[in-house]
Amino acid sequence: MSDYKKPLPEIQPYSQAFWDGTKQHKLLIQHCNSCDSNIFYPRRDCPKCWSQDMGWIEASGKAQVYTYSVTLEGVEQKFVEDLPIILAWIDLPEGIRMHTNLVECEPEDVHIGMEVEVVFRDVTDEITLPYFRPVKA
Amino acid sequence: MSKRGLAIVGIGEVPTLRNPERTRWDILLDVCMEAVRDAGIDKNRIGAVISNNPMAQPGMQNDMSLGKIPEVMGLEGCRDIAICNAGGASTTNCLRLAEQHIDSGQVDFVLIPHTTVQSDIPPQDLINFFATAPLDKQFEYPYGVTFNGSMGLITQRYMYETGATEEELAAVTVALRAWGALDPLSIFYGKPITLDDVMNSRMISTPLKAKECNLLADGGGAMVVTSRDIAKEMGDKAVYKLGHGTRFMSATPMLREDVFHRQSYRESSQDALSQAGLSIHDMDLRQIYGAYPYTQCSALEGYGVCEEGQGAKLWAEGRCGPGGDIPCTTMGDATGRGHTGSGVSMAFYLDTVRQLRGQAGERQVQNCEHAILTTSGGSVMNTCTTVFGRAIK
Repeated sequence: MSDYKKPLPEIQPYSQAFWDGTKQHKLLIQHCNSCDSNIFYPRRDCPKCWSQDMGWIEASGKAQVYTYSVTLEGVEQKFVEDLPIILAWIDLPEGIRMHTNLVECEPEDVHIGMEVEVVFRDVTDEITLPYFRPVKA
Repeated sequence: MSKRGLAIVGIGEVPTLRNPERTRWDILLDVCMEAVRDAGIDKNRIGAVISNNPMAQPGMQNDMSLGKIPEVMGLEGCRDIAICNAGGASTTNCLRLAEQHIDSGQVDFVLIPHTTVQSDIPPQDLINFFATAPLDKQFEYPYGVTFNGSMGLITQRYMYETGATEEELAAVTVALRAWGALDPLSIFYGKPITLDDVMNSRMISTPLKAKECNLLADGGGAMVVTSRDIAKEMGDKAVYKLGHGTRFMSATPMLREDVFHRQSYRESSQDALSQAGLSIHDMDLRQIYGAYPYTQCSALEGYGVCEEGQGAKLWAEGRCGPGGDIPCTTMGDATGRGHTGSGVSMAFYLDTVRQLRGQAGERQVQNCEHAILTTSGGSVMNTCTTVFGRAIK
């Protein structure tokens, strides 16, 4: 695992819980206990009400493809082995939009509105990245 | 005496190229001297130098931030220097700061330069720069997103919502390159392309093809600005700022509710037009810096030139390119002129001045009296819209 050469997320103190969650194969979303909003990406203070009373909820892991783009070239060398890369923005029922890669599918099978679900990949001993794959019919 | 208002009275620009032998300082000195000479003023009347920050070029950034320009050029009347960075909207910030200096009455003329050389930076470093500077290093970068990929995501959604086809969007690039092919300052001078050229170019990040992505080039430009009152004494060379509006959306594209920036284009243009006392239908030219084809469409929709979702059709019908009845972006945008980094929008202002002066050669828009210009920075974090005219209304 330690030969992973691609960039790892630059974790912030207030996003540590998110990455602790993915390591346990849970997708956590930051939640403001004061104004009851779900927040992505994690921040120190609630961007809506500036409360510091922040917690976490576990997402269902389901989502819908809002848009996607299949990258065929123009990436840094360390990503070349992954081409084609299916970039996507996905909408979670918890009301947030995330950037991800769609995996376990072919580029030609992807479409806007497609139902997807989270899948976790332990890329190093410390870091687990969440990806999404089509929900099997 | 209050000296309100702003006018551009001098311009200088070098052709966009990829040639590392033409250094950053070569470009800088050439464009600054040309702009001062074009204004017809003595160099020592420049009271401030407000530079575009040359991102990804730390040596030049230090020189420009820490006062080398007035020293090297012997600008003996220079009272202040500053540097502005807002990515592709940097020139807009330079203009706003320049206007503040001029309004203060302390300074009569401000020199605003831009220089960039990207041809001596390794391609892998540039990909890294554009994948990390304007995008999120925690939640985007680990997924292999590039700047092209990020804009591909938005373009795909734009096509889905509007029904615009790949051919219609490709027509935007054909028209922008047609403007560039007529412009001796473009890296694509004399090099028009066809719809087939765009459609058959390599796919980079769907639906964006190679010809729809930016060629990173070297270039630069400069302008001299002053107050309206002083400009009026300088004759036909003056081009007046008549109104300005701006809207910020978000740093990170995925967090943007206004995905295609229509609302932001609409509100910033309405602010600018209302200050100018003009309507979008009074504009003879629309200069849109968006760097990617969908912005040339959604800006027209936001401005109210056409209905939402109809922007690409206007381009496909040939109405926005040379000979069209809605001329747009005669500067060619970055895809038609070469992308010159964070000071890229300088050339939009310079080309607007040329058009309003009647100096745009084969690209000249007939009877060009008013122009609207929008710049954006980062990954389209904002829209900064200005209305210019060749006379004060």
